Amino acid sequence: MKFNSWYLSSFLVSFIVAIPILTVFASFFQETTNYFDILKNTFLIEYIYNSLILLLGVLVLTLFLGVGCAYVVSFYEFPGVKFFKWALILSFAVPAYIYAYSLTAFFENFGTLYSIFKSLFGPGEYNQSIPKFDGMLGAILSISFSLFGYVYVLTRASFHYQSQNLIELGQNLGFSKYKSFFKIILPSARPAIVAGLALVAMETLSDFGAVSFFGIATLTTGIYDSWISFDDLAFANQLSFFLLLFILGLFFIENISRKKAQYHSPVKGGIKEKKKIKLNFSKGFLAFGFCFLVFLVSFLFPVLQMLYWTIIFPKNLFDLNTFQLFINTIYLVFLSSVVLVIFSFISNYGNRVTKSKFLNYLTTFSITGYAIPGVILAVAFITFIAWFDNAFIKAFEFNSIKRVFIGSIFGLVIVYFIRFYSLAYNGLKTGYERINRSIDESSYLLGYSKIKTFLGIHVPYLKNSVFLIGILITIEVIKELPITLILRPFNFETFATTAYIFASQDLLEAAAVPSLFLILIASTFILITSKFILKD
Amino acid sequence: MANNFFEIENVSFVAGGKNKVNNVSLKIENEGEIVCLLGPSGIGKTTILRTIAGLEKINKGKINLKGRTISSENIHIEPENRNIALSFQENSLFPHYNIEKNINLGSDRVKDDKKIQTKEVINFLNLNKILNKFPHEISAGEAQRASLARSLVSQPDLLMLDEPLSNVDQSFKEEIQVELKQILTNSKITTIIVTHDSYEAFYLGSKCGIILDGELKQYDDPYNVYHLPNSVEVVNFLNRGTLIPAEVTSPKSLENEDLGTITGNFVRPFPIGSKVKLLIQPEDLQHDDASNLKLEVVDRKFRGSNFIYTLKTLNNKLIPVFVHSHHIHQHEVDEKFGIKRPIHIDHIVCF
Repeated sequence: MKFNSWYLSSFLVSFIVAIPILTVFASFFQETTNYFDILKNTFLIEYIYNSLILLLGVLVLTLFLGVGCAYVVSFYEFPGVKFFKWALILSFAVPAYIYAYSLTAFFENFGTLYSIFKSLFGPGEYNQSIPKFDGMLGAILSISFSLFGYVYVLTRASFHYQSQNLIELGQNLGFSKYKSFFKIILPSARPAIVAGLALVAMETLSDFGAVSFFGIATLTTGIYDSWISFDDLAFANQLSFFLLLFILGLFFIENISRKKAQYHSPVKGGIKEKKKIKLNFSKGFLAFGFCFLVFLVSFLFPVLQMLYWTIIFPKNLFDLNTFQLFINTIYLVFLSSVVLVIFSFISNYGNRVTKSKFLNYLTTFSITGYAIPGVILAVAFITFIAWFDNAFIKAFEFNSIKRVFIGSIFGLVIVYFIRFYSLAYNGLKTGYERINRSIDESSYLLGYSKIKTFLGIHVPYLKNSVFLIGILITIEVIKELPITLILRPFNFETFATTAYIFASQDLLEAAAVPSLFLILIASTFILITSKFILKD
Repeated sequence: MANNFFEIENVSFVAGGKNKVNNVSLKIENEGEIVCLLGPSGIGKTTILRTIAGLEKINKGKINLKGRTISSENIHIEPENRNIALSFQENSLFPHYNIEKNINLGSDRVKDDKKIQTKEVINFLNLNKILNKFPHEISAGEAQRASLARSLVSQPDLLMLDEPLSNVDQSFKEEIQVELKQILTNSKITTIIVTHDSYEAFYLGSKCGIILDGELKQYDDPYNVYHLPNSVEVVNFLNRGTLIPAEVTSPKSLENEDLGTITGNFVRPFPIGSKVKLLIQPEDLQHDDASNLKLEVVDRKFRGSNFIYTLKTLNNKLIPVFVHSHHIHQHEVDEKFGIKRPIHIDHIVCF
């Protein structure tokens, strides 16, 4: 094994990313206050029970919405199908917590629906007949409509790459459409569906904003509460450990399923273009109705709700320093993107050049950071800094470094880096997999050094991947809530934190303005990348 | 002793932790020589090229180029500092540059006065029409030619071509072989070519190395490799003859049960009375309808300019015989086929 500079750089990047994960595992063995006993006998069961109910509800709903939409737009021709193909991914722009605000605002007593009834039918006792979507049901709906896009995108890609031959095979065997769907189409897309559901499950278990808004005690809110309310970092880490075990299980299911999904996709040589079935008027109307309903409920509804409040309460728009929030958000986006892209490049190239198995294992371990909820990462980061400060910095009588890392942009960007490292690393890795190793070797043989090969061959070739990664990071950072909330500097707000703070103070109409901006910015970036997202 | 231009001294070539080819010693005495390495797929030919290029390391022996050790147990000159070009079998063109830019990158480090005319290379490799295309827009054969062009214009001290014409159309192949040989000879580029096509190797190389069973079995000029193979393995690999049992009866003759007396010059002497295996190549025997030595035809292969008949002896040995395709008549399977006697073979190869 050769310990050159590429090896060391790549090792350091992966190691830094792995620190919080190691911290969570290490802190499982720490002693905590007696809250652990209290929680073990009372709340812990509730945390786990609520988390599982939430998970089950979300999985059922996202499975139905995601596979249903993917099937309809992949196999049928009806008015608006091209529009829905990309419009349905706009739901990615709406974080579950903003969906939760919209849901509450629309259906609450004297809320938007009440106002609509009042303006249509005059004053009346409508509140009793308006259903209330709060508590667990509200959380399931909010998270499902925000996340079904994962199942939709992966299943649609799988359906898209299913060869027409497969469909024709079913016809030749005399299968009905119904039988073809359940015997051929669905089984061959199963790995993609499982991968999508595993992602949904990870995000659901990680969700903080929506569940805390609806006051549901899950493992994630438990971690936040035990740290904020009980000031017991060790117990927060122990809860994290339980959650992490569960999430890592899902992470591996997702990874295995994704690999299987690749086998189900055709290789070089292309696919026989699928013939879409043209629906007659009534069936076409039904298909259109289904897609439009999902689009309306998942995207238009929260946007219109936020827009409605922004218009009827214009004061909130003018009171809010939107420009500053925009600058803050973009500042974080820019710093995170630059850091992530640079270090992912170093790590990818280091892995490629050194061909070290150890480095490869370390990187695989470190990219599990994506599966770790933001709350856990933030808490683990603080734990690590506190331990490092006590064990080394103070021991040698240096000034504390806590302020440098906690409550600072620097610390925030580091944790963003850890959280979204797998997004950047895997994005570049996918690009790198398309570069045959003999291309590197040709470059060396033409007299190019490793750094010149990296800068002159790889970087220009991967510029599209970098662009795509940059935008995906942007969307994630704009929506990110718990890490920003825990680690942001004093008086430093983003659209996400502003919306959360207003909402947590029951000022939903004030939360509308930052929420609306957040959705609009994220939507713009999603539209830019829709071509790539739908492709893979 | 004068320094050889290139030399491999007792090197074992390793790929993926496994020994592929052991204890290889080989030298190219003069600059501008072309050497071909022949062997079946997966035997380690590419590993040898990759190791010479510096893409793999060695832990035994040494490799010298122009009097400088470039690889040994303790020395490893990085690939970018060897001035060795390797044209890979698979497409190794830079995907984001068009073909012209790809080719020109090859000549970047060459001094102007030493440059091979890029245009000349582009013309003879018939690349004019694809210069503005990108690697993903061209065929495998075109990519291979473009890669070859890039290597040629880089004017390396040592050029190595891994199956350079394997994807090139047959109709175009011979034309390219002629021009490739011409340009390599004119520009005095020392070249090692790996191929599994013996005709290509025999035409292009001034020397040929046969790699079999993890070792370099024979390294000689093409005529000798073909006519004077040094082992049964080489005979079997070249698949150009058959071995029949015979007994040495004098310093210039031997006796076979089916063919009778065979005279000629022994390549390696054997004591009289020795039981040997005699190599019979298709051109060793001649057809004669009037001969009383008749064998049964079991197969007939038409090869354009000639036929190769496979004949069965009374002892069930199969013997190939070459006949010009303009021969006055043809023999069908199961017919009898006359062999001219007495049989005389210029070089008698026995094992």
